[in-house]
Amino acid sequence: MSAPPPPLLSLAGVTKRFGGLTAVRDVSLEVRPGDLLGIIGPNGAGKTTLFNVIAGYFRPEEGRIVFDGRDITGLPAHAVSRLGLTRTFQIVKPFGNLSVLDNVMIGALTRRTSTREARADAERVIGICGLGPHAPARARALPLALRKRLEVARALATQPRLLLLDEVMAGLNPTELGAMIDLIRRLHAEGLTLIVIEHIMAAMMRLAQRIVMLHHGEKIAEGTPQEITSDRRVIDAYLGEEFVLAEA
Amino acid sequence: MTATLARHRGALLLFAVAALIPIGVRDAYFLDSLVLILLWGALSAAWNVAGGYAGQVSIGHAAFFGIGAYSAALLGTRWQQSPWLGMLIGVLLSLGAGGIIGYLSNRLRGPYFTLSTIAFSQVLLIVASRWRAFTAGSEGLPVPFRPGFATLGLGHVAWVYVALVVAVLYWSIAVWLERSRFGYRLAGVREDEDAAQALGIPARRLKVIAITASAALTSVCGTLWAQYVGFVDPFYVFSIDLSVRFALNAIIGGLGTALGPFLGSILITSLETYLRAALSGVKSGFTGIYLIVYGLVLILVVRFVPEGLSGLAARLWARRSRSAA
Repeated sequence: MSAPPPPLLSLAGVTKRFGGLTAVRDVSLEVRPGDLLGIIGPNGAGKTTLFNVIAGYFRPEEGRIVFDGRDITGLPAHAVSRLGLTRTFQIVKPFGNLSVLDNVMIGALTRRTSTREARADAERVIGICGLGPHAPARARALPLALRKRLEVARALATQPRLLLLDEVMAGLNPTELGAMIDLIRRLHAEGLTLIVIEHIMAAMMRLAQRIVMLHHGEKIAEGTPQEITSDRRVIDAYLGEEFVLAEA
Repeated sequence: MTATLARHRGALLLFAVAALIPIGVRDAYFLDSLVLILLWGALSAAWNVAGGYAGQVSIGHAAFFGIGAYSAALLGTRWQQSPWLGMLIGVLLSLGAGGIIGYLSNRLRGPYFTLSTIAFSQVLLIVASRWRAFTAGSEGLPVPFRPGFATLGLGHVAWVYVALVVAVLYWSIAVWLERSRFGYRLAGVREDEDAAQALGIPARRLKVIAITASAALTSVCGTLWAQYVGFVDPFYVFSIDLSVRFALNAIIGGLGTALGPFLGSILITSLETYLRAALSGVKSGFTGIYLIVYGLVLILVVRFVPEGLSGLAARLWARRSRSAA
């Protein structure tokens, strides 16, 4: 038996307060290389705040964040991304006036010094994400589903080792949702480690190996999708009885 | 190479025409207009590095213009030094000033950044106009004319070429910006700072670099302008009017484009020169009417060609090529 690989990301006792409000309270978790971790929880549970803390947008009041053996607590966002930990935004933030290709190229330029190489990288990533026909389009002109994909493509172009996806499936129709799930599965199969925030339980059940449930900023449950959906606290706080009946 | 030439044929044609004009035309009034078109164009191109490419809209760039103008004028009148040395000192001071204002206003976005730049230029105006013992205060500072290239005491034709060299240089910097790694990442910062940081771009550092470079380029033109005009008035060189002019030429011509600031300058500078001569003056009683026309042009451009004159030119060109094909 070989020892399990060291965690790629570990949070220990992370707390983030805004004045009197504690948005994230004493959260600890570990992500191992190759994991696909889901984070669920009602609106306002602190999911996005947790992403903001991990990615360097907010400095936590307490706790430690270690990425790949390195303490990144309080490191600025660009430095965290540079180390290989990249996030997407729930409310998509395309570079609106630039083309899809330029958007993704800017991501690729984080690892490349030559614009020619970055363009080649960007074209490859655009292909993977199914954005090929839209490469010359202005990002602003894309419909939501494609802007969500662009958000993923741009992050992928930075060649992350850990990708944080914040509700990239919200607002998609069933076809688009299926395509996004396929994309995430494919990335995972190719060895990428991911943390995914999502409200759509059906998608989460199909994707995640493990799920963490946040409620009022606290981690109240963690386990496999099966364990999570049969956990009394998760049902009471988030899923509701209808979900249990529908699943049954 | 040929593709590059083809893409920039408009700009190259424009600069070639400017280079040929002094060969045939010796009219001082006309050549003076040409020098000013090129200088104001170069100044807007300098402003565009921060305002257009980095999205840091400053209405305080007169500060750097004034630093350049005063550095050379003071060194020349008080210590009899060459204006080239004054230009260098002006650049160093503007690098410092640009770095400081860039660093201090780093967290400010949008209008708050703009307000901080206005405040900065107003502080310098107060210093320059009140510190009589050093700057000669509000009386202003005459710059003595000493003939020769080393002292920048030049005739109109030579000034056209000096201004043209600066214009082409600044235009080339903009072209480089559009194609370089730095320029792409700067565009990301301009479009969305948070998203840029998520992609590993040190947004704040890039913004400071952009405004510092923009300040230094502005300062060089400030020195040239003072040597050309021969007089430095604090209420002019540090004025908000001047800062607005840098911004407006670029906005009218096309924000964040290499050629835009020069197209804006051609329109605005020639319009202003013409209207001033034609409509103002004691006998007509229309003093200042050019400002009304100026405003009108701005409104029309923003309403009908929001992407600026360079965008309009590109659109017309595309239509022509399509109908030709």
